[in-house]
Amino acid sequence: MNRLQHIRGHIVLTDKYMNMAATLPSPLTTHVLNIAQGVPGANMTIILYLLDPISSVWNLLTTGITNDDGRCPGLIKKESFIAGVYKLRFETGKYWDALGETCFYPYVEVVFTITDPSQKYHVPLILSRFSYSTYRGS
Amino acid sequence: MGSVKGPLTTHVLNTGDGVPAARMALSLHRLDPHMTVWSLVTIGNTNEDGRCPGLITSDAFTPGMYKIRFETGQYWESLGQSSFYPYVEIVFTVSAADQSVHVPLLVSRYSYSTYRGS
Repeated sequence: MNRLQHIRGHIVLTDKYMNMAATLPSPLTTHVLNIAQGVPGANMTIILYLLDPISSVWNLLTTGITNDDGRCPGLIKKESFIAGVYKLRFETGKYWDALGETCFYPYVEVVFTITDPSQKYHVPLILSRFSYSTYRGS
Repeated sequence: MGSVKGPLTTHVLNTGDGVPAARMALSLHRLDPHMTVWSLVTIGNTNEDGRCPGLITSDAFTPGMYKIRFETGQYWESLGQSSFYPYVEIVFTVSAADQSVHVPLLVSRYSYSTYRGS
């Protein structure tokens, strides 16, 4: 193998590993469930923020929309997931509006503390027009 | 005030220990629709029964968007425990038809729920 072919082999190998890194699952996941209708909360906009501890400003990390299963894969990359205070904002008012209904909660913001970013965290939202709950899952 | 219930009430329950969440700090805010900023309406603490009477008067309880912020992180810290949530904010809409609104919070170290009661 000549020198160029040898170097090319290194670049191709790196691409392969980069693709693998891009498909690692997010260490932070969510799941929206519409318990009023017994269906996943699909097509709900959710926004993930990280609190800047120095300025106390919320920095927007990701905007996403839940899929047909009420999930939103790829919320954050493993390497970006640091210890800190995060906020998940669920656009519940818009969600129920799209279904032709009102909702007591115009939006839901769940603020939580990540102390150990090596763990997996699941922050679901179980929702109806007049109630909601959340818990820390894995 | 006496025994007259206000138009907006709350009740905080510690579902981890099966007791009312006593002495939890909380605050009520109203969204100023023109400025889109939150104005503080009341600051208080829950009593031994986890309730906080006198949050707002009927006259002041005009239609709009409100927020109750519960200092859950401080509460668990005072019990010597950590919690997943540093605080909980419940944002809700009050319409002209709403005479009596109850916004309870059921909270443990790793979960919480709320519902609209009356």
